[in-house]
Amino acid sequence: MVASTFGRSGGRILAIAGKEVLHIRRDPRTLYLALAMPVVMLVLFGFGISFDVDHLELAVVDQDGTWASRELVRQFTASKEFVVSTESPSPEQALRDARRGHVVAVLVLPKGFARAVSSGGAQVQLLVDGADGNTATQVLAKAQALIQVASPRLAGEGAPLPAPPVEVRIRTLFNPGGRSALFVVPGLAAYLLAIVAVLMTALTVAREWERGSMEQLFATPVGRMEIVVGKLLPYLCIGLAQVLLVLTAGAWVFSVPIRGSLPVLGLGALLFLIGMLGQGLLISVVTRNQVVATQVATLTSMLPSMLLSGFIFPISNLPAPLRLLSTLIPARYFVSVLRGVLLRGNGLEVLWPQLGALALFALLILAAAMARFQRRLD
Amino acid sequence: MNVIEVEHLSRRFGDFKAVDDVSFTVGAGEIFGYLGANGAGKSTTIRMLCGLLQPSGGHARVAGHDVAIAPERVKAGIGYMSQRFSLYLDLTVRANLEFFAAAYGGHGATLRAAIDAMLERMQLTSVRDAVTGALPGGVQQRVALASAVMHRPRIVFLDEPTAGVDPLQRRSFWQLIRELAAQGTTVFVTTHYMDEAENCARIGIMVDGRLVALDTPEALKREHAPGRVLDVRGPGLAQALDGLRGEPGVLDVSRFGSGATVRVDPTRVEAQAVARWLRARGVEPLEMEESAPTLDDVFLALTASAQRGED
Ligand SMILES: Nc1ncnc2c1ncn2[C@@H]1O[C@H](COP(=O)(O)OP(=O)(O)O)[C@@H](O)[C@H]1O
Ligand SMILES: [Mg+2]
Repeated sequence: MVASTFGRSGGRILAIAGKEVLHIRRDPRTLYLALAMPVVMLVLFGFGISFDVDHLELAVVDQDGTWASRELVRQFTASKEFVVSTESPSPEQALRDARRGHVVAVLVLPKGFARAVSSGGAQVQLLVDGADGNTATQVLAKAQALIQVASPRLAGEGAPLPAPPVEVRIRTLFNPGGRSALFVVPGLAAYLLAIVAVLMTALTVAREWERGSMEQLFATPVGRMEIVVGKLLPYLCIGLAQVLLVLTAGAWVFSVPIRGSLPVLGLGALLFLIGMLGQGLLISVVTRNQVVATQVATLTSMLPSMLLSGFIFPISNLPAPLRLLSTLIPARYFVSVLRGVLLRGNGLEVLWPQLGALALFALLILAAAMARFQRRLD
Repeated sequence: MNVIEVEHLSRRFGDFKAVDDVSFTVGAGEIFGYLGANGAGKSTTIRMLCGLLQPSGGHARVAGHDVAIAPERVKAGIGYMSQRFSLYLDLTVRANLEFFAAAYGGHGATLRAAIDAMLERMQLTSVRDAVTGALPGGVQQRVALASAVMHRPRIVFLDEPTAGVDPLQRRSFWQLIRELAAQGTTVFVTTHYMDEAENCARIGIMVDGRLVALDTPEALKREHAPGRVLDVRGPGLAQALDGLRGEPGVLDVSRFGSGATVRVDPTRVEAQAVARWLRARGVEPLEMEESAPTLDDVFLALTASAQRGED
């Protein structure tokens, strides 16, 4: 009896899922959106919109003109991370160049630098173009690292210059080359997965409302759980294929490693996907309209998973209210899981809180969607 | 035996009464027609009977179950073809039938055999692999009917199944409905085409949410549009008609275009008398055709009296 009930239910779920597969095959744009777009985006982001900065143009104002000051400039250019584009007599002249966008930073070595080095407490001034925040951050980090390395050489025993902040060290530890692909791939994977999963479900369910076939479906004995599972199942498979594809592309094109536990990664992806599919479902159940659903889905998946997930801006750099808000964004936890597994070699013992948060989100959003998804028309 | 029993059924949307205190029964194997203008409350009634909409008052039992208490049991026992086009237009005819049959629990070889039989019966075999959206409206309508009865329900609800279909297709569609009923399926069908309502064993007429009449087509005509209908045409008709209105035995005079319809009580006045009367007032040459009243006449009479009642 139980088995036959289960069998009947399974049959109905398969009927819905099978129909969905037919819809997808009839309109392969869905599949294209889901599978080709992420890879294209990944490659574009990885190569084109690289966050890596080198050959940064530097204006040098050497007012000291000693061996020590020249040695520090040489240290800057030796790594190829900086090139000296202009040497200006005064900071004012250098700043004018900076304003025209030629240089990203001005290094000022004040008169008496060499003497200060030998007595300890030497200071250099680094004026950074803050218009490009990402570049500015990296310039600061690199300059500090360079100076840290250079200062013992300049001063011998003295330890005059301030130590760089802890952040720089962490980055250097797990991403020694500072390669942005390693950093971008996990964030991008979460971002793309979020958009595609939310959008696909929001559209497919809203379409049934809009065309009136939902009413027909409600008139059959198919339960709402069966409708939901049947409709989400194909997209869950597509989503998992997408994860696989993005990670493979990441590993192949950008040599992103997989250092930690694959099952943990798989579990994280599954939970994240279910949450995103649930979000799409909730949107379509509430809007019942493809156009509105598309807009809401794009907005609620794209913005948070880009801005509040740690993909582009580190969570720790967000203002407190946004940081609080980010704790509600599943992409944040998924990005943590991805970075943890891929780069840090973490497993369940470290990532269980993130997995728990993903599971909780999936559960809550599905419950909310189901509560709104009544098989009645009123 | 009654398979549909409706008692004081009502449905409100806010303050608006879409269905207002409706009662009727439908017997097994009957073709029951539900007539009314747009917005009369036909679809709302059907949705309540299919367990899709909660009634706000009254009761309805369909296929032995109360629609408010056990909508799932009701759903399993009925077929429903909704008013809004509800097939999956991007799928083939066969895929649509397969899906709806599976949704009602069909599977395996029996399902495939049943689909082939249904395709044959609905004259769809030649288009079974065609994409549904590419087929003409009349054929799509047959696919929708086939989808609604794939699981052999005892009762099938058809909400304006022939809307927007040409007359020839409508006639063949009604042939299929009659065949279904002949095999014992109860058919509950709404329409606003009065001519096809003649196919129904009984008809309920809805005006503004209320069921204002319910009977066989013949009885409805006898009661609400008795007499004979004379279609008349000729020069100078307009002036002559005003006088005709008050004559004994003349029940109703309504003009349309260049002619007019005169309904008379045949026991009190003969058609020839009306013709003589009109000729005497200069309507010459006079064309006159005598016919029985149709459901159109019934509907017009009922709508008019309902509106008078409201004023
Ligand atoms: N969900 C709803 N919310 C508000 N009003 C509705 C709803 N459904 C139907 N109505 C109103 O109820 C009336 C009857 O509608 P309906 O049953 O669809 O009429 P019919 O099928 O006879 O054309 C109409 O005035 C319609 O606007
Ligand atoms: Mg209607």
